[in-house]
Amino acid sequence: MTRVQMELLQGTLDMLIMKALALGEMHGLGISRRIEQITKGTFQVKPGSLFPALHRMEEEGWLSAAWGESENNRRAKYYQLTKMGRRQLETETQRWGRISLAIANALEA
Amino acid sequence: MRLERMVERMTSAVRNLLRRPQVDAELDEEVRGYVEMLTDEKMARGLTQNEARREAKMELGGVEQVKEQTREVRAGHFLETLWRDLYYAARTLRKNPGFTIVAVLTLALGIGANSAVFSAIDAILLRPLRFPDGDQLMQVSQYNPKVKSPNPFVAPVRLEDWNRMNSTFQALTGYYAEDDSETSGPLPEKITIAFVAPRFLQVWGVAPELGRDFSPEEERVGGPPAALISNRYWRRRFGENPKALGKQLRIGKAGVPIVGIMPSSFLFPDHDVDVWLTVPIGAPYTESRDNTWYTVVGRLKKGVTLAQARANLATVQVQLGKQYPKPDADIAVKIQPLKDTILGNVGRSFWMLFGAVSLLLLIACMNIAALLLARSSQRRHEISIRFALGGSRIRIVRQLLTETFLLALAGAALGLVFAGAASKIFQTLAASLPRVQEIHLDARIVLYTLVCSVVVTLLCGLFPALRAARESISGSLAQTSAAQVSTRNRLQWLLVGVQVALAVTLLAGAGLLVRSFEAIGQVSPGFNPSHVLTFHVSASYGETANMKALTQRIDRILDSLRTLPGVSEGATSATLPGVPQEYEQQFKVIEGPTDPNRKTMADWRSVSPDYFATLQIPLLEGEACREQTGSVNVMVNRSFANTYFPQSSAVGHHLQVLGALANFYPTAEIRGIVGDAREEGLNHAPEPTIYSCFSAPMPDPYYLVRTHNAPMSLAETVRKRLAQLEPGRSVFDMAPLTDHLDDSLSENRLRMVLLAFFAATAIALACIGLYGTLSYSVAVRKREIGLRMALGAMRGQIATLFLFKGLGVCALGCAAGLALAITSSRLLAGMLYGVSPTDVLTLSAVVVMVLALAAVASLVPAVRASRVDPMTALRYE
Repeated sequence: MTRVQMELLQGTLDMLIMKALALGEMHGLGISRRIEQITKGTFQVKPGSLFPALHRMEEEGWLSAAWGESENNRRAKYYQLTKMGRRQLETETQRWGRISLAIANALEA
Repeated sequence: MRLERMVERMTSAVRNLLRRPQVDAELDEEVRGYVEMLTDEKMARGLTQNEARREAKMELGGVEQVKEQTREVRAGHFLETLWRDLYYAARTLRKNPGFTIVAVLTLALGIGANSAVFSAIDAILLRPLRFPDGDQLMQVSQYNPKVKSPNPFVAPVRLEDWNRMNSTFQALTGYYAEDDSETSGPLPEKITIAFVAPRFLQVWGVAPELGRDFSPEEERVGGPPAALISNRYWRRRFGENPKALGKQLRIGKAGVPIVGIMPSSFLFPDHDVDVWLTVPIGAPYTESRDNTWYTVVGRLKKGVTLAQARANLATVQVQLGKQYPKPDADIAVKIQPLKDTILGNVGRSFWMLFGAVSLLLLIACMNIAALLLARSSQRRHEISIRFALGGSRIRIVRQLLTETFLLALAGAALGLVFAGAASKIFQTLAASLPRVQEIHLDARIVLYTLVCSVVVTLLCGLFPALRAARESISGSLAQTSAAQVSTRNRLQWLLVGVQVALAVTLLAGAGLLVRSFEAIGQVSPGFNPSHVLTFHVSASYGETANMKALTQRIDRILDSLRTLPGVSEGATSATLPGVPQEYEQQFKVIEGPTDPNRKTMADWRSVSPDYFATLQIPLLEGEACREQTGSVNVMVNRSFANTYFPQSSAVGHHLQVLGALANFYPTAEIRGIVGDAREEGLNHAPEPTIYSCFSAPMPDPYYLVRTHNAPMSLAETVRKRLAQLEPGRSVFDMAPLTDHLDDSLSENRLRMVLLAFFAATAIALACIGLYGTLSYSVAVRKREIGLRMALGAMRGQIATLFLFKGLGVCALGCAAGLALAITSSRLLAGMLYGVSPTDVLTLSAVVVMVLALAAVASLVPAVRASRVDPMTALRYE
């Protein structure tokens, strides 16, 4: 994603990351791949956007991180959702639902 | 929810700051880990390890950049970078001591001078008087609109009428001060007494520290006497003994008990007042509407404006005019805030000073800006690398601004030290200015200094920083210094030109003031002020009840003084010659046509007959006046004779005095004509003057004694003689006449000295700027010089090239400065004497001096340019 688009979708990126982690803990690259997967290839998150988002959300308490071993036995940092994060994910999902419904109505009218 | 997030972020911030290396290492490992995993992925898809790694790295976009982007969003990032900026800035400044010292000193001078002047202005002009609600205090005076008489004093009975009949003041009171002797101790001691009307302390809002205020009985005629004493007097006389309350002071013939002691902060109406006594209302001598003594001060009611008070008292006075047509119908009321009356002309000088100092700060800032510009171009390489490492423009600008800020901070700290010293110097130089003792540095000054630093930072640093950051990476890294020559320099030369212009303006102003001061010094005063001793002998206004006795007493003193060895002449005068004290009087010439439209006015001076001999004012015609009872003799000066008696001789004519003095002086005869003397001050041309020959114009006139040797050498002798003649009186304020004349010019001298100081600093700064910019120009154009030399230019020609560049800019600056000086000449017009604001001699001298200094400043870089070795220069990259 180019820089401009990232700014527009920062809230959305957070939501996607949290959704990806809802399925279980994961490291940076894995999160990127999962997002690609669940959005069916629409969003490919570059590390320049991903890492800042991950660190920011960790500092805000929505994620927690721990060092672990990856599939190929490399040291990697694994992120998982905290309780606060789950709550935030729900809130965001509901909000997003309302927004998209409103916009859909507007476009149909 | 928001609060939880904030708390989390703050905890993270603290953790990030405290364990930075660890946090950084982890981030590094995480990002590299990402690259590795991506590589693995690609390898799994069939690429070789090298290809996979290369692709992975390209996709990442640069490890350092990603790390930096991550760091930017982390909590506590701002503080961390700020700290790093400061540290780095400090290190950079330390590594360039020359630049740092010059910059800090320059800023310190500018900011320090600004702070000092501001603290003086604050103490003297801005801080209200130190009374509760000092802004409510007003000075009220009466005046006769038809006569230009400076008698603003108010009769006690009128004061009481005003106080009773007005609706806008809480209270009105009045006072006057005189000196007297207090004789309850072993020696008579001179004290300054303030006689006050009722409600005095009520108006000021101050209560005695010990004891009490006057009681209503003590303020009426027939009541018991009472006195309040000042804290200073209490300390001096009674050693702060609380038993002083109730002790009796002996003033004149009466004993007066002390009923209250004032706090040490109460120094009104004068710093010297020792005792306050009441003037009892109802006493016969207070009943006359023409006996004007009091300076009246009043406190406005809350919420009442000055305009309302003025209207109200005007109405009251009109009513009084109907009730007492003589003299109240001719009297009008003037009200001014008390603060304004204390300051007089000082305010104008101060704002001029403030303008000059701010200008200086501006020049200093421009110098720093030029130096910073020069340095930032030398650091282009470093800045480009920063860009390459992923720094954003804002970060780099911030880094450069931090350096400037540190400079400004250091300059401000040093400047405060300067300001403290300058305050002390100010107090000694300007001791005669009002409230000068109250000048201190306080929190507001410090705040003002800090604000100055911030402003300076922005002024000096913003533009160079923005400029430096504007360059693109590829441009700066690849470029050699050959290409960038004149465009940037143009701005720096512009700065130098502006500095020179400002310096020229200041120098022109200073030069004019210096010449004007000299002109005053050379003027012939018309009298001989050297070898004249002046002093006062204490007396009280009560003596005016018996004028004959008073005159005899003073004549006896004068006769006795003349017999002293070392004294040649003695006289008394109501005013000091050469010290401005206007007193104009309207009169009428009896023999001769009176023109009803043309008012005949002249200055009025009351002097004893030997005044002219004492001051060596020549007698031109007629004879010296003598004191006679019955008719009044006057002398006139030559201006008077020429103005009012152009054809005939003035001698023998009679004058009738009009106005307030008419009661005291019936027809007067002109006895003789004396030479013109500059009685109004050395910088005023002599006015037509009438001298009335009367040795006792007041109970306590100035005594003037001409001595053979130095005046002060006779001080003790005079004191002893007066102690014999008048044991109950004290002699005070002894000084040579020349001291008084010097004092009256002290404000002029102060202005001149200060402006000269600023002008000198300004030109020094401009020269430093010129030197710096020219040196930089030489350094940057080394290749060009090498080329020129290789193509055959001589060393002399190279030197001349740069010398003329410097002089050229300077000349343009001079032209601009001259234009500025001429257009602003009106500002100085009021302060000049004997020289016009656009005086050609002064202006040309200033231009010549500035060009000469510029030549000197340009010499060293020009010579350095000529010494460039063409071989090294051409190889230099």
